[in-house]
Amino acid sequence: MDAEAPVARTAGPPHGHVFCSEKWRSSDLIRGLRGGGVKILFENELGVVDFLLPNKSSVLYVSECDIIAGNGYKRKLVRYRNTSSSFQELVLVEKSRISEQYFAAVQSFVVLDLGLALLPVSGQTGASQLITHIVLSESQENPFRRRSACCLFEPLVMAVVQKVPGVGKVRARALLHSFSSIQQLCNATVAELAPIVGKACAQRIHSFFHQHMVTGS
Amino acid sequence: LPVPPPASTSTGSVSILVDSSCISGGVELITSLRQRHAAAVHVCSLGGSYFIVSNRMAVERHSQSDLAATQNRTQLAERVKSLQALFERVCLIVEKDRIKKGEASRPFQQTRFYDCTLAALVRAGVRLLWSDGAEESAGLMADLARLEQRKGQGIGVPLEVTGQHREEALQVFLSMPSVSYVHALNMSHSFGSVEELINSPVEAIQKAGCMSRTRAEEIYRFLRYSCDTFLMNA
Repeated sequence: MDAEAPVARTAGPPHGHVFCSEKWRSSDLIRGLRGGGVKILFENELGVVDFLLPNKSSVLYVSECDIIAGNGYKRKLVRYRNTSSSFQELVLVEKSRISEQYFAAVQSFVVLDLGLALLPVSGQTGASQLITHIVLSESQENPFRRRSACCLFEPLVMAVVQKVPGVGKVRARALLHSFSSIQQLCNATVAELAPIVGKACAQRIHSFFHQHMVTGS
Repeated sequence: LPVPPPASTSTGSVSILVDSSCISGGVELITSLRQRHAAAVHVCSLGGSYFIVSNRMAVERHSQSDLAATQNRTQLAERVKSLQALFERVCLIVEKDRIKKGEASRPFQQTRFYDCTLAALVRAGVRLLWSDGAEESAGLMADLARLEQRKGQGIGVPLEVTGQHREEALQVFLSMPSVSYVHALNMSHSFGSVEELINSPVEAIQKAGCMSRTRAEEIYRFLRYSCDTFLMNA
């Protein structure tokens, strides 16, 4: 069993399962997970981590008792952050009527000082629900993940050129016909611009690009 | 419950940009930022209801029920993604729902949808902060701004531009893709002319805009992008 432990910690559990630290064996949280349809694999070698989830995230649970008992939980959190793994680290903090008054301080330490993600839970039952939901919806596509969209730049360049004072849609199009990029347009002389937009406008465009922006005033 | 102590303002004042749409419903927060946290707050049009607390971080406020409502998902996802395109760091402050006078406080129902929304946000790299109300949110925002300032990412230029030409230049910079208000503001303060930005190497754009190398490269490429006249007429 020991030989397999490091594999568990780097690969994470199979779909629908969680790796769970032994210390949780007879807890409400585990009963909640089982009730929700999550399969539990107990694991001795998780270190400071409480749970490993299949989507490559790990969970550390900070209980009401931890918070009230003083600053000991902070050391645990620092160790958790320092076990540099490829897992996304998630800290669940019990926000109960008793621990509520300390929540702001705990959040400040976890999120601002350590840079970890924090989700508040009402207690072990709430936490088991949250973990169950994460595990069971693991394969869904993330709606918040940005896909690099390859879009055409033409409309965007047009929009920028139209922001130049005195240039509307028609003039912008005419200008980009002759000078295809913003840089080329910027480096055109008044004499080159004048046949396209007229002398006055050419002067205005040129000075917009080249006039020094006066500070203060 | 004990009142949290006022945050220290010893590290000097921080600068925060606020979208004009945040004013309605945000008066208490903005007042607190100015008075309690001595922040320099400037209201302008950011094109979305959010706050900018540093050269790379945007913050949005949401109520807990906002995040729990299934009909809001698409809109929220679009907003988060558009912020991620403009900022290296995106933070959501999740506020407890306000209880109207005379109304009994209802315990918040933690649904599967809500849990999955939170998990997906965390996995997409969005930072979440939890707040009991406007006052606490102001404290968190000031904390974020101070933290970013300590890391050398604080907004270091005046929050307003003066003069018509500089204002026009700001509008041109703002219309470029992947340029946020704070990048445009930095550039309009650092470059002597619009031409100077357009003919600058990537390094100079990065430095003047206080932005990432990748973003500066995107701007550099955009300025040199040669338009296809056929596609332009389409």
